[in-house]
Amino acid sequence: MNIVAQLQGQIGPIGASGMERSFARQVEKLKLGEGETFEGEAILAITKALLQAGVSYVGGYPGAPMSHLMDVLAEARGPVLQPMGVMFEQSASEAGAAALLGASIQYPLRGAVTWKSIVGTNVASDALSNIASSGVTGGAVIVVGEDYGEGASVIQERTHATALKSSIPLLDPRYKMSRLVELTEQAFDLSEACELPVIVSIRIRAAHMTGKFTCKDNRRPAYGPKGPFPKPRNANDRIVLPPSTYIHEKEKVEKRLPAARQFILDHGINETFPGDGRRIGIIMQGGTYGVVQRAMRRLGASDAFGETPMPLLVLNAIHPLVPDQIEAFLADKDCVLVVEEGNPPFIERELRAIAQERRLDCRIRGKDVLPEAGEYVADVVRNGLAAFLAEEDADLGPEVRDRQKAIEKAADKARASLTVVPPTRPPGFCTGCPERPIFTALKLLQRERGAFHISSDIGCNTFAALPPFNMGSTVLGYGLGLASGGAIGNALDQPVVAIMGDGGFWHNGLTSSAVNAQWNGHEAVLIVLENGYAAATGQQHVPSTGSTAWGRPAKISITQALRAIGVTWLRRVSAYDVAATLKTLRAAFDATGKGLRVVLSDAECMLARQRRERKVTADRRKAGLPYVQARYGVDEEVCTGDHACMRLSGCPSLTLRPARDPLKEGPTATVDQSCVACNLCGEVAQAAALCPSFYKAEVIHNPRAWRKISDRVNRRMLDWLGAS
Amino acid sequence: MSAERPLCVLIAALGGQGGGVLLDWLVEAARHDGYPAQATSIAGVAQRTGATTYYVELFPEREPARDPVFSLFPSAGEVDLFATLEPTEAARAIELGYIGGDTTALTVRERIFSTAEKMLPGDGRLPAEPVLEALQRATKRTVIFDGKALAGETGRQLNAAMFGAIAATGVLPLSEDACRAAIKASGVAVEANLEGFAAGLEAAGAPEKAATADGTANLEYDPAPAALAARVNALPAPVQAMAGHGAARLVDYQDERYAGLYLNRLAGVVALESKDEAYPVSVAVAQRLAAWMAFEDVIRVAQLKTRPGRLARIRADLGAPEDTTLVVRDFLKPGREELEGLLPPWLARLMPKPKPGKLRKGLKLRVRTSTAGGWLMLRALAKLKFWRRRTARYGREQVAIEDWLVAVLAAAKHDPALALDTANLAVWARGYGDTRERGLDRLASVSGDFDKQLAADGPALGANVGAALSAAYKDPDGEQDHDQAEPTGR
Repeated sequence: MNIVAQLQGQIGPIGASGMERSFARQVEKLKLGEGETFEGEAILAITKALLQAGVSYVGGYPGAPMSHLMDVLAEARGPVLQPMGVMFEQSASEAGAAALLGASIQYPLRGAVTWKSIVGTNVASDALSNIASSGVTGGAVIVVGEDYGEGASVIQERTHATALKSSIPLLDPRYKMSRLVELTEQAFDLSEACELPVIVSIRIRAAHMTGKFTCKDNRRPAYGPKGPFPKPRNANDRIVLPPSTYIHEKEKVEKRLPAARQFILDHGINETFPGDGRRIGIIMQGGTYGVVQRAMRRLGASDAFGETPMPLLVLNAIHPLVPDQIEAFLADKDCVLVVEEGNPPFIERELRAIAQERRLDCRIRGKDVLPEAGEYVADVVRNGLAAFLAEEDADLGPEVRDRQKAIEKAADKARASLTVVPPTRPPGFCTGCPERPIFTALKLLQRERGAFHISSDIGCNTFAALPPFNMGSTVLGYGLGLASGGAIGNALDQPVVAIMGDGGFWHNGLTSSAVNAQWNGHEAVLIVLENGYAAATGQQHVPSTGSTAWGRPAKISITQALRAIGVTWLRRVSAYDVAATLKTLRAAFDATGKGLRVVLSDAECMLARQRRERKVTADRRKAGLPYVQARYGVDEEVCTGDHACMRLSGCPSLTLRPARDPLKEGPTATVDQSCVACNLCGEVAQAAALCPSFYKAEVIHNPRAWRKISDRVNRRMLDWLGAS
Repeated sequence: MSAERPLCVLIAALGGQGGGVLLDWLVEAARHDGYPAQATSIAGVAQRTGATTYYVELFPEREPARDPVFSLFPSAGEVDLFATLEPTEAARAIELGYIGGDTTALTVRERIFSTAEKMLPGDGRLPAEPVLEALQRATKRTVIFDGKALAGETGRQLNAAMFGAIAATGVLPLSEDACRAAIKASGVAVEANLEGFAAGLEAAGAPEKAATADGTANLEYDPAPAALAARVNALPAPVQAMAGHGAARLVDYQDERYAGLYLNRLAGVVALESKDEAYPVSVAVAQRLAAWMAFEDVIRVAQLKTRPGRLARIRADLGAPEDTTLVVRDFLKPGREELEGLLPPWLARLMPKPKPGKLRKGLKLRVRTSTAGGWLMLRALAKLKFWRRRTARYGREQVAIEDWLVAVLAAAKHDPALALDTANLAVWARGYGDTRERGLDRLASVSGDFDKQLAADGPALGANVGAALSAAYKDPDGEQDHDQAEPTGR
């Protein structure tokens, strides 16, 4: 059972402390010095590597799997970063983060920024192109988390394309913690050697991988508040105006990329394992080394420690490739397999080009035995590798075939025992989520008015596109929901209805969506879900939260921003009052001729609220003060089992219980212990005139004296009436 | 000699079940005992009820000379230990090929239903048994836990119990001390988690259980009321239990006379169905008719909400000690038509008709049933039972019931299968307010003029009835009709 504190006044305002979650343990790990052992997740190890490389500034935008880097650094800002003179910001968007790298153009300052790719890279691409053109003086590193494959929440594309078009070296490190840290530090040296920003890319599972490495001391940046850079620079050959841009383009191919190749070669960024010198081999992205090794061991081509007769070339730098190194590997081979995740297969194509240019008699295989699309998980790579080895390796081939067959047979046997399909379990709104009641109200409005098109946005609100709501027809990008409906209202002859979270509003929504609609006079209803955080990525603060991630009070008001751009029809609703919300939505829908109408719901993210309230309640319990436990319940006898409430809610705590009454056809509704008494069940029952089965039960612990007395009297009377 | 490969552990859980913490404990315990280990997870959707997995590899050799190569992904047939906090998640792991003859599996028995299962009216639940049985067939050993027992009275999370069970299987070389040390090192809810660990340790050592799940509660049939027992016993044996239960319900609902009306109506159907010894139509009618005749009007709801013992039951459900104060608020929203339904028919007819399309207003009542005043108010409403036969709602429901029965009887004369479907059409008479109105309309649209329809085109009617019945379960809110009405463009 979740606990709601009795006295809301005891609880601080949203985000006042900035410390809903604590990363104190992680911050301690950032302080480790020379020779000490770091143990923890890879994403934190990378964060430590940035400090060891002597960064002067760090920025970024949260998003899985990079949120943790931002969260920890925000908390480390006071204890670790400021004493070192390192500047940190949570940028307003990835574009803002990428622009931060501008500090490294004219000045010998090392800096790093981070975000989720591909989406963040897309948002940042304007700034990235410019930085890559200008070139950098100090090492500039972009750490991107690839949200590709299982559990991904974004479109499936490669960061590689951005690296290619902008001539940005791209590292895809082998996932061994010590090597990952080393390569992250070397990325800064590489950046300075070739005067280009460098991307370090890490896959989602690798970001959350645990491991250890031996630390170095953190390096204080050369310049900072205590020892500032003496004088601003304005070397105008760094400005992206003609003729410099023409020179930059030439420099990239003639000077910078060759310098990068030289660095990659000189510093052993890529790794060659010669094996037993056989005439076949495997070339892979560093990040796929683990799955390739696992596949080889399963097929009898490697052991538990990675000892293998197979020659391997592990590309920790996948752009630029080093033709001399490639030639050296291909020269004595008849055939190589390229393991390259995602598409298009840039590496495989470039290898073919190199082989042709250098007249090498080596066949290149890859996407003919491995899938063109989709994540390269261990079994996918094993299947491809088995096909390759069976055809190309006379020595290992027969055993590979036998082992592959045995593995498949065993899996098929297990599958054959299965007679049912597991239920799909997409992510949904959390218990008590304040976004759920808004979609309940929208669903009720659709029942009144018939279906209408809803333009969805990025964030938790996208989950409304799934059952039970099925609300959301298009998603175009962060903060673009309203803009994406621009041409739809006209075609359907109805107002554009768009959803946007506060994260999306500040990221891009104010300008690209709200200003656009207001300026062009769109007939539109914008529903802003102001829950106080970028909730989907882990409750990071946004400009309207009330404070920065490290607790500095700072509030930028969404309503003031909207008023400032001229929005006059603006109503605030209380999320859990479904009837009132429905009324407001109806009015917004009907306010034809009023242009952009904004309905703002400002109930706080329930996860964040619970985190705070639990603490308060625990303190009150310890102190013996009154506190309230509240939960909803369903009267089994009253519930008819039609589950209409589930279709208007989908709350995880609202679930089924087997019926004992033979007259009931199926299980009845019940509310489980995870209920946080958000009131939606009661609201739905009333707003939709649904069902009187629900009750709200509050238990007042440690009641005060007057309540004890009145309770005793009340209970006597109930006894006398026959209620108990 | 060096070990040949790492041991692989796959943990399946839903967001919020504490799988990540379990993972941390395993890594910490491995570290404590000096085994190299690597864990990973996809935390992205973990906090929001989606299915997610956690994966650990542990090399079963203390401080080996060379570093083993770990993988971030499980691979087919090489999962030594599979643990799941929800039984049907095991099916996903089997589908993906991870489970094999060398796997030891640990699973909780209790289902956590998906939104898709919950949304369907009636019973959309996927039973756990087939998955548990598949797991038992596919693996070397499967241990099935009673999650409720493991969670204990405090309802603590199951992850600590699962940790204990993992330790008990002996698949991993981790010592119990190392596991306890890991729990202590995490510093969160240490006491409760150590208790959970101990419970899991013990449960995994207990003898194996069969793959039965708790999805089906035993149905509890009330005996027929004494005054009507003879009439119920005169019915064919297969119909008796349901008819007795139905009669008892209607005595509680109204009186013996009303229950007698029920038995009269039922007798009509029974008389027509002597060919099938199982009396399927009669049993269906016995169930549907009783449920319908006990329609939940405001009076009935008030009666149920003021049942003696209800407040005590709620207190027990919440585990609230006696020295606390319990406040129970009931959310009643008799819709306008429900309120009008309490009036006599002639007066109800005078009330203005509601506008179509718009959700109808009603009376919002939030009654504090835990106070003597609130309870008395509801009790007074319940006492209106004497007035029920004179209400407009009663009249309307009886007419609808008769129409439906006429249809069932007409069908029974020609086609037993159609009769059964028609009997089950009464499923539409369910829910409250709008849900109920829509349902009754749907039912009437099929059962009206049943005789004529049957004579004109039997097969078409059969198809209609079938479609209406299937829609009752698959499209209860008529949302798919909207889509079909969409224009297809040029």
